[in-house]
Amino acid sequence: MTLDAAAIERLYRSHGHIVLRRARALLGSEPDAQEALQEVFAALLRAPHSLRSAASVVGWLYQSTTHFCLNLIRNQRTGARLLQVAPTPAPAAAGCRGEALAELRSLLSRLPAEAATAAVYHHLDGMTHEEIAGLLGCSRRKVGYLLERVQQSLARLEQSA
Amino acid sequence: MIPSLAGRTWNACFSALQLDRFVTAEMTEGEAERLRVHLTGCARCRTALDELRAGSEERLPPLRVVPLSPRSRVRIRAAAAAVGIAAAASLLVMVRPFGVRTKGSFALAMYVDHAGEVRRAAPGEVVALGDAVRFAVSAPADGYVAVLSLDPKGRAFVYFPAGGRAERVQAGSDLPLPLGTRLDETVGEERIVGLFCPSAVELEPLRLQLEQGGPAVPGDCQVTRWSFVKR
Repeated sequence: MTLDAAAIERLYRSHGHIVLRRARALLGSEPDAQEALQEVFAALLRAPHSLRSAASVVGWLYQSTTHFCLNLIRNQRTGARLLQVAPTPAPAAAGCRGEALAELRSLLSRLPAEAATAAVYHHLDGMTHEEIAGLLGCSRRKVGYLLERVQQSLARLEQSA
Repeated sequence: MIPSLAGRTWNACFSALQLDRFVTAEMTEGEAERLRVHLTGCARCRTALDELRAGSEERLPPLRVVPLSPRSRVRIRAAAAAVGIAAAASLLVMVRPFGVRTKGSFALAMYVDHAGEVRRAAPGEVVALGDAVRFAVSAPADGYVAVLSLDPKGRAFVYFPAGGRAERVQAGSDLPLPLGTRLDETVGEERIVGLFCPSAVELEPLRLQLEQGGPAVPGDCQVTRWSFVKR
């Protein structure tokens, strides 16, 4: 499906909250989440044909949001390293879920892109291996391998902590 | 701490993806029916769904437009040239609140992209839903610029810049601001407030004041107002 600008504006109004909610959870920063919201739809305005092969608009938004946020997390970590300062910890929401999200953000900047994406879909969004495989365009076996790699990284982090 | 991630931060049987597809009516009728049946017996999924639905009610800011490509910039310049007026002068006349401009004052102009055709907007211009608008400024000196809007429903937004403070621009005429906005579906008259200040003023207080009939512009700022009509 290819949308014109007016249709993308309507999509922004009807589906933008999905992007914003996930970006807030992933980034832990309201300005960054707002930027993610704008950038995901700006990318669609620039390349509306990118939706053409998407089986699900919601799925496409999940993919785009995750991609943007992971890049931002990675860039922030790289920038902090270059400046030789500690990355600013993103505020965590209250409670166990907030702690888990903060840990997830910390982990994501260290994982390879594909494993980080699988980790987001599994831990943040509660997706099954089949759902993750559908969004990543790979087999369920590959998803299992990626999530196993995430667990190994977690274990290493735990040992070094 | 880390082992807490061994589980999921999502706490429902159906994934967030599936619940979002349900909320946005993207599921097939069969999928939706299976979920409805599940919801009758699962408090966790009902709670998760209620949270997603509550989030879908949130008011979003206007959608910013992609910064114009070099080709688009050419088209904008061509549009300005086509009206046969020096760009800076025409822009200044266009946006003065009372149609008068004093020398050395700040001015704001608006361009409209309708179905790929760019035109220079006039005061009270009628624009279509889904049109993209982008502003250009003429600044008498280096300073800080912001553009706020009050939509027909009385909601105020910051059109420019994306951050929370006015953004620095250099002195000059017809300087295109790097971001535009895609107009939403709220019809009626939209009021625009352009600010030019000697410092990077915070915009959120001004935005809130605009919704309450303001804003109370800092004394050392210049302000220009105009409007357009969405139909």
